[in-house]
Amino acid sequence: MLSIKNLHASVEGKEILKGINLEIKAGEVHAIMGPNGSGKSTLSQVLAGNDAFEVTSGDVTLNGENLLAKVTEERAREGVFLAFQYPVEIPGVSNLQFMRTAVNAMRHHKGEPEMNAAEFMKLAREVSKQVDLDPAFLKRGVNEGFSGGEKKRNEIMQALLLQPKLAILDETDSGLDIDALKVVSDGVNALRAEDRAILMVTHYQRLLDYIVPDYVHVLADGKIVKSGGRELALELEERGYGWLGIKDEATADSSALSNSAN
Amino acid sequence: MKPASTLSTAFLHPAGQALPEPLLALRKQRGAALVDMPLPTRKTENWKYSSKYLKLTDEMAVSLPTAGKTGSALAVPGYKVVFINGVMIPEASEYPDLNNILIQRFGDLSDAEASELAERLDTTLNTKEVQFAGLNSARFEDGLMIRLNPDAVLDQPLFIIHEVTADASGSAFPRIFVDAGRNSQITLVEEYISSGQEAVLVNSVTEFTLAEGANVTNIRLSMGGENVQHIGATGVTQQRSSRFESHCVGFGGPLRRHDLQVRMEGEGAECKLNGVVVTQGTQHYDNHTTIEHVAAHCDSEETYRNIAADKSHAVFNGRIHIHQDAQKSNANMNNKNLLLSTGAEIDTKPELEIYADDVKCAHGATIGQLDEESLFYLVSRGIDRREANVLLTMAFINELVAQIPVEAVRDTVQIRLNQFFDQAFQEA
Ligand SMILES: Nc1ncnc2c1ncn2[C@@H]1O[C@H](COP(=O)(O)OP(=O)(O)OP(=O)(O)O)[C@@H](O)[C@H]1O
Ligand SMILES: [Mg+2]
Repeated sequence: MLSIKNLHASVEGKEILKGINLEIKAGEVHAIMGPNGSGKSTLSQVLAGNDAFEVTSGDVTLNGENLLAKVTEERAREGVFLAFQYPVEIPGVSNLQFMRTAVNAMRHHKGEPEMNAAEFMKLAREVSKQVDLDPAFLKRGVNEGFSGGEKKRNEIMQALLLQPKLAILDETDSGLDIDALKVVSDGVNALRAEDRAILMVTHYQRLLDYIVPDYVHVLADGKIVKSGGRELALELEERGYGWLGIKDEATADSSALSNSAN
Repeated sequence: MKPASTLSTAFLHPAGQALPEPLLALRKQRGAALVDMPLPTRKTENWKYSSKYLKLTDEMAVSLPTAGKTGSALAVPGYKVVFINGVMIPEASEYPDLNNILIQRFGDLSDAEASELAERLDTTLNTKEVQFAGLNSARFEDGLMIRLNPDAVLDQPLFIIHEVTADASGSAFPRIFVDAGRNSQITLVEEYISSGQEAVLVNSVTEFTLAEGANVTNIRLSMGGENVQHIGATGVTQQRSSRFESHCVGFGGPLRRHDLQVRMEGEGAECKLNGVVVTQGTQHYDNHTTIEHVAAHCDSEETYRNIAADKSHAVFNGRIHIHQDAQKSNANMNNKNLLLSTGAEIDTKPELEIYADDVKCAHGATIGQLDEESLFYLVSRGIDRREANVLLTMAFINELVAQIPVEAVRDTVQIRLNQFFDQAFQEA
């Protein structure tokens, strides 16, 4: 479904992705781990089409079509969904209005009739229950004043509404308490389907107890340095990144961080 | 050709004489004071950013004709008074005949009433700062006097439709005076619209005097055409515990100037001033507001938003003056500006003069662009880029539009905003 070949990308003249290769088939779940600053979010953003990042070489195809040639909104309509690591707050645009506009943009693209306000409200209430978000959140500004965990649940809610083909989840598990992690994982598992691929970025192997991946990749300094099965995550948990020969600043930073977090 | 430095004498001749004697006398006196009135230039502090948009020609000096006009067919959810080119059209107007609320055109006032009115016209404005209010006083052909007796409450909004018919070059001088008695209440909607294509000047003045406990809401919609230069002023004086609320929504034009001056003279008075301005193309809009905290224990809250697209130019100047005796004043001013293109210009200047020591006064002004990160978030959900721009631009003013207390006005504003978005985000 998704094929990434030798992808290079830079931001403000600094190369961040240094030749990524990755194949994801329909129905698969891939996890990407790696130290802070290694380029995981950059990869996610590049796939979603954020033009703050410049793709300098490489190819990305989604179901055979050149993804990089399309603008963000086209990618989204064709099924690319990114759950942001840091969802932006947009006061003045209600969550409900935002989600309805998005759902209707998708429906329009598929040639389906738009949902009116009442129909959408009904759907939104159901889905908000699924991610354990009080329907009152629909009335608030997009992510406005949401706690970290509420933002993540709001992202999953959008994924459930938009039913993407490729869901990229950038640290959707970070900042969640145990119960929320369960709720979000259930949401992601509900997304698992034959015709859907999921790429999730995470630092914690704990998430992978709930959402069992088919493959685990380690991204370091802009490259995938190791790929394996589920057991790779356990090994990383035990041994850190050092044994993989990742000895740059970013690793030092990340171990310092995880030490202080423990 | 070098622009004239003083107001052309062509502007000193009012047309109609259909006014009671005291008002004719007032007009004459104000006219005399305008001889050699200097026109604003770049060096005139309060016209610094706007003088270049002011283009008065002698053809524009003549009063626009009113004969043969039947007036706006605009349906309104409330009472309605229609003025064409500054003169009231009774056939097009519908308002109740109440014994505690007088709604009367200047032309129909008795000499005694007119004489009382003449005493009070211009008293709510600092005419040194608002130079063009004097021109209106020298030229008005008619006007509307509204007097609410103590405790009188007008049960529905009163719409005053000021239409200017620009089939030929000329001017119109709309005038309104509202005398709100003790504990009276009114919602007044002023709607400035135009038809025709010739270059015209609209020079309007609206005044409110609020007695103790009066509660006045004023909605002002500036929606004239691309051929209309509009210089308007609103003056307000407030006595003890009165409340004045204003919602000014303005769409740009070749020249748009609105001076809003509020003087809180009685303790416990409160004012809330909201403003939304949108400009596009090469349009201009300039809001100058002044809030005078004269008495103690008064609250003012001002929120203005400008949105400028293309190569347009918006100006906001907000002055708060807290007088020496105005202890325990509470003043809050906030102005946010959104530039939708790099060619647009916004000038904003908060001015605070505080002479009392025990006051709370906050102000803030920002100028920014649509947030790229927010835009990316919206389009990453499949939302059309144009739609995303509209959502974010609306987000900037939503709160102010929602506060307009008359639904029909909100609808009118939304329709005009949608037209604005159609133009502003064409190929985005
Ligand atoms: N807009 C930007 N301007 C400059 N540098 C940037 C920008 N965005 C990302 N970077 C840099 O690119 C590198 C990769 O960042 P990225 O966010 O992709 O890391 P990450 O792997 O997601 O890290 P984390 O685990 O902390 O989320 C970092 O060094 C970061 O500082
Ligand atoms: Mg990241």
